[in-house]
Amino acid sequence: MRVIANHALCQGHARCEDLCPEVFATDAVEGKVVIVQEEVPAALEDKVRLAVRNCPEGALRVAKSGPAEGAA
Amino acid sequence: MTLLFQPSPPDHVPPERMVDFDMFHIPEGVSDPAEIWHDLVRRGVPDIFYTPHNGGHWVFLRYEDIVEAYRDHSVFSTYQTPVPPIEPFPVVQPQGVDPPAHNVFRRLLAPMFTPTAVRGMMGELERRAAVLIDGFAERGACDFITDFAERYPTGTFLYLFGLPEERLDAFLALANTFFRSTDPAARAQNIGEIYAVLDQLFREKKRNPGNDIATQIVMARDENGAQHPWEDILNCGFLLFVAGLDTVTNTMAYIWRYLATTPAAQKHFRDRLDDPDGFLRGIEELMRINAVSNLFRRVTHDCEYRGVQFRRNDRVVLPNTVANRDPRVFKAPQVIDLDREVNVHLTFGVGPHRCIGSVLAKREVMVSLQQWLRRIPEFKLADEQPAGSVFGGSVMGFTALRLQWEVAAKRAAA
Ligand code: HEM
Ligand code: SF4
Repeated sequence: MRVIANHALCQGHARCEDLCPEVFATDAVEGKVVIVQEEVPAALEDKVRLAVRNCPEGALRVAKSGPAEGAA
Repeated sequence: MTLLFQPSPPDHVPPERMVDFDMFHIPEGVSDPAEIWHDLVRRGVPDIFYTPHNGGHWVFLRYEDIVEAYRDHSVFSTYQTPVPPIEPFPVVQPQGVDPPAHNVFRRLLAPMFTPTAVRGMMGELERRAAVLIDGFAERGACDFITDFAERYPTGTFLYLFGLPEERLDAFLALANTFFRSTDPAARAQNIGEIYAVLDQLFREKKRNPGNDIATQIVMARDENGAQHPWEDILNCGFLLFVAGLDTVTNTMAYIWRYLATTPAAQKHFRDRLDDPDGFLRGIEELMRINAVSNLFRRVTHDCEYRGVQFRRNDRVVLPNTVANRDPRVFKAPQVIDLDREVNVHLTFGVGPHRCIGSVLAKREVMVSLQQWLRRIPEFKLADEQPAGSVFGGSVMGFTALRLQWEVAAKRAAA
């Protein structure tokens, strides 16, 4: 599973970082999300899904593993 | 003086959307000011309605419409929005400016309040909460507002702005007049005083930079390498002063009031003192249920939204407390579920103006509750509460909240 952020939508609530700091961080320039590891380890998949559902801006989504998917 | 942003008379409002509702008036006997909003929903008023009170304004009640108003600044502006209308109104930075200009101060402030930045404040936040609570723990009672909930965020402001602790009482007095006075002359003078204090502070930080937020604001450079306009710097300081005090105070008041009447919830948090994720999940739910802010927007041009006609300069009020209990979005919205997993509440707004201080605010509440539970046993509301201690408006809350608890028998040596 991969996780993808849409920076145009992200407003830096940091709900994602609170819920799964292993995968999400907040940058020090704009205060927006940074994906620390795009390829989500199996053990973190549930936590990442929960973070995605808790993003108030709908700025996160998950996709199947692999480089091509989600590039658009 | 020509007024540029006055609403027009409501002859475009159909009678079925007219509701007699005064958001500043809490009827006698109502002990929770948010109930005047929930009562509208129970009465089944239209989910977009207009009230002639306070200069006339719309109210949105659905989560989806409230989100739309937060997001679409081309229709719903934050520039010159006060309800009731006052002109000219200080253009606070960045809240009172629409994108893209808004981004200048947003980008300046946002990095100072990220989770990483707030982690660096934690030691001081904990120490400050502990000192305040130790001051009254042995007394077995306190007025939660004056003994803690006002002092704590005001002290945090001093710390972040690099101001000495001796200024606390002066700042509390300034804030109290600002938030509670209804006398226009006293208010105008008070705003002048706050700006004078900020002016002096930023000048001092420019001469003598410190490791604090005031210094970062005054030393910041715009894209041409110049200092930001002085007026904007003051308007930014002003916003930080007003945005992070009354909101935090009353959020805490709501939360402690709920805990004082719900021993099981106290236990829930006590059992999670060593489980920060579980603790924060509970705080997030209390944030949803206790959304103290009602936000204002101004319509930028005559238009139609969801079949309703709006006129330029119409005001719109967005009650987060109602959005946060919308059954279309939240499962069992009236239930306080301290383990709620999906919780996209709007307590801190959404979209371009979403609260910059939300991480700090949540950590302030979390740290305070942790320090409190470590020092104070099960607590409850005191039997006597002062009359008339609730207020409505753009921030809702309490002017007094007396709590009490049992104190362990005095140590033998005493
Ligand atoms: C529980 C406490 C708090 C609540 C409920 C709250 C709520 C809000 C809301 C709803 C907004 C959106 C305003 C709008 O859309 O017009 C906002 C904006 C803002 N808040 Fe907070 N806030 C809280 C604490 C704080 C704190 C502690 C700070 C201090 C850093 C702060 C700083 C700001 C700033 C700077 C903005 C303007 C952001 C912008 O316009 O881009 N807030 N807050
Ligand atoms: S929760 Fe959503 S909006 Fe907030 S920082 Fe994460 S991705 Fe961005």
